[in-house]
Amino acid sequence: MSAAAIAGAARAQNGGLRRFASQEALLALAVIGLAVVVGFINPRFLATRNLSDLLLGNAYIAIAAIGMSMVIISGNIDISVGALIGVLATISGSLAVAGAPILVSWLVPLVLGVAVMAAQGAVVAYLRIPAIVVTLGMLSILKGGLISVTGGKWITDLPQNFHLADLSFLNVPMPVVIMVLATALAAVWMRYSASGRAIYATGGNAEAARLCGVNPQRTVVMVFALHGFFAGIATLVYATQLRVIQSTTPPGLELTVITASVVGGVSILGGVGTVVGSTLAAILIAEITSALVFINVSPYWTDALRGGLILATVIADILRRQRRAARGWSK
Amino acid sequence: MKARLLTSTAATIVALAFAASGANAAGKWDGADDLPTSPLACDASGAAAPEAAKPYDGGQPTNPPDKAGKEITLVDVPKLIGIGYFNATSKGMQDAAKELGNVKVTTDGPTEAKIDEQIKFIDNYITRGVDGILFAANDPVAIAPVLKKALSKGIHVVGYDANSTPDAREWFVNQAQFNGIGKAMMDSMAKEIGEDGSFAIVTSTFTTPNQARWIAEMQAYAAKCHPKMNWLETVEAQEDNNLSFNQATTLINKYGDKLKGLFGMTSVATPASAEAVTKAGLCGKVAVVGLATPNAMKPYVNAGCVKSVVLWNPVDLGYAATYVMRAVVDGKLKPGATSVEAGKLGKLNVVNGSEILLGPPFIYNKSNVDQFDF
Repeated sequence: MSAAAIAGAARAQNGGLRRFASQEALLALAVIGLAVVVGFINPRFLATRNLSDLLLGNAYIAIAAIGMSMVIISGNIDISVGALIGVLATISGSLAVAGAPILVSWLVPLVLGVAVMAAQGAVVAYLRIPAIVVTLGMLSILKGGLISVTGGKWITDLPQNFHLADLSFLNVPMPVVIMVLATALAAVWMRYSASGRAIYATGGNAEAARLCGVNPQRTVVMVFALHGFFAGIATLVYATQLRVIQSTTPPGLELTVITASVVGGVSILGGVGTVVGSTLAAILIAEITSALVFINVSPYWTDALRGGLILATVIADILRRQRRAARGWSK
Repeated sequence: MKARLLTSTAATIVALAFAASGANAAGKWDGADDLPTSPLACDASGAAAPEAAKPYDGGQPTNPPDKAGKEITLVDVPKLIGIGYFNATSKGMQDAAKELGNVKVTTDGPTEAKIDEQIKFIDNYITRGVDGILFAANDPVAIAPVLKKALSKGIHVVGYDANSTPDAREWFVNQAQFNGIGKAMMDSMAKEIGEDGSFAIVTSTFTTPNQARWIAEMQAYAAKCHPKMNWLETVEAQEDNNLSFNQATTLINKYGDKLKGLFGMTSVATPASAEAVTKAGLCGKVAVVGLATPNAMKPYVNAGCVKSVVLWNPVDLGYAATYVMRAVVDGKLKPGATSVEAGKLGKLNVVNGSEILLGPPFIYNKSNVDQFDF
C-alpha cells in the first residue's frame, strides 16, 4: 500500500507540475484575451490608469488568496478569512485612531492574524475536526463579536500616515508591489523548499506524506499560520486604501478569495495548485467585474459569470484527475 | 479544450455586450423600482402633488390625564444609546424641552440595538409612570404590544426615526420621504454640474427597497424639473466599501470627461465614491452627491471635494418629536389635523394618515458638517 501510494503521489506531482504551468498560461491568456476583446469594444478600458486602478483596488483579494491557496492545497478550507480581515482592519484602524505608533497598528493585524489562524490550524490538525466546521465557527464568532463590540460604528479620522496603500515604490502603487512580491516569494518557496513541498504532500496524500517523513499535523498548523500572515497583509492593503473602515465584515469576501484560488487552478481536493494561478485568477475576476461595466452588461451577469468560471475550472480538474487515474490503473 | 473554453468565454461576453446595449435604452433608470412616483414641485416650496388624504390611522391613549399646559415628564427610548446619531436626537429633545419650559425629558435605552431590551426599558417606564413615551423602534411589529400597553394606561406615545405599526402609537415623526430625498439629490446635483450635466449612480443592489424607491423618485423628479440632465448608468456595489470604490473608479475611467457627477445611494457608496474622485485627482471636476453620515464625509467635505451630503438633521428630528408630544398633550394635535407648529421649525405637515413630516432633507456642507458627530 505504502509503496503504491508514494509512487502515486510522485506521479500526481509530476503530472501536476506540468499542469500548473498550463493552468497559469491559460489564465494569463484569459486576462490578456479579455482585455483585448473589451478594449476593442471600448478602448478606454486599456488606459493605463484603468488597468492600474484595477490591480490597485483588488490586490488585497489576490494577497488573501495566496494563503487560501496554501490552505486548500494542504487539503483544508477556510471560510473565516473575510470576517478575520474585517476584524483585523477594525483593530488596526482603532489603534491608529487611538494614537498608537503607525508601525504598531500595522504589525498587530499580522501578529493577530497568525495567532487566530494557527489556533484554528491546531484544532483542525490535532483534534481532527474538519476545517470547514472549525472555520465556520470562527466566522460566526468574529462576525458577531465585531458587531457586538463596535455596535456598527465606523472608524473615521484615520491619521494620514496610516494609509499604507497610498504609498508607492518606483511609481508602482504599494498594494500592487506587495501583491507581486508576496506571490513571487510564496510561489518560489512552495515549489523549491522542503516545507513548501510538504504542503503538496500533505494535501495529496497525508498518509504517504507521513511515511515520507513529513509531519502532516505540523504542516497544517504552519499552513494556517501562513494563511493568517497573508490575511494580515491583505488587511493592511484593504484597511488603508479608504478613509473609512466599515466595522462590519466585508460581505462575501471569503467566497471571492476561495473563488480566486479555485479558478486559479488550486484543486479543491487538495495537493495541486499554485499561488501564481490564484493571483492571476484574482486579477481575471476583477477584470471581468470592471469589463462588464465598460461594455454595458448588466451586473446581474457578474455572479453568473463568476459561477460559470468556478464550475468550468472544477469540472476540468475532476476530468483530468479521472483521466489520470484511469491511465494509472491500466498500467 | 483550453482554447475552446477561452473562445467560448470571449464569445459569451461579446454576445452579452450586444444583448445588453439594447436593454439600456429602456425608459427606466437601472436600480429604480416600478412603483408609482410622486415628484415634488420644482421650486423651493417642494409642494407635494395633491393626493387623496389618508384617514388618521394611529392609536389613541385610554383616558389620559388632562395635562394641557402643565409640566409633563417624558422618556425617550431610542434604538440604542451611546452613539452619535441618537445623542443628536436626544440633544434636540433637550433643546425643545428648554424652549418649552414645561417638559422634562430623559433619554434611556439599551446599549445595543436589541428589540427585547428596548421592550424591557419601555415596560419599566410604564410601571414607573410617565406622561409620554418617545421611541425609535428596533422592530416595528415586535414593539407594538408594549406601546399599546402604554396607550391603554393613558400614556401618550409618539415615534420618530423608526416607526411601529401605526395603531401602536399616536403619531410618528417621519424624517424624510422618498420624493423629498429624490428632489434634494437631483437639485443638489443640478446646482453643481449644471442642467445639462451627465451623471452616474452607485447603489447597493438594484433590488434594495429604499434605494430602488429613491432612484425611481430621482428619475421622476429629474424628468419633471431637470429634463436635460443625462443619466449614464447605475452600478451595483453591495454595501461594500472597497467594491463601491472600485465601481466608482471604473465609472470615472469609463466615461472620462463626460462624467460630471456621481450619486452615492448608500452611506457606504457615497464616501467610497468621494474617495475614488479624490484618488483620480478629479475633485471639483466630478461632483459627488449622496446619502451619507457626516463623520464619514468630513474629510471630503472639508477638503472641498464634496459639497452636498443629503440626509436629515437628527437634532431637528428629536426637537420635532418633543414639540409633537407637547401638542398632543395640549390637545393641539388631534386626529384629522393637517399640520402642527414645531417651534423654530415652523409648521410641519401631516402626511400618510398619522405621520408628521420633518420637512425637506438637510444638506450637510462645509459650513455645518463639523457640528455633527455620527
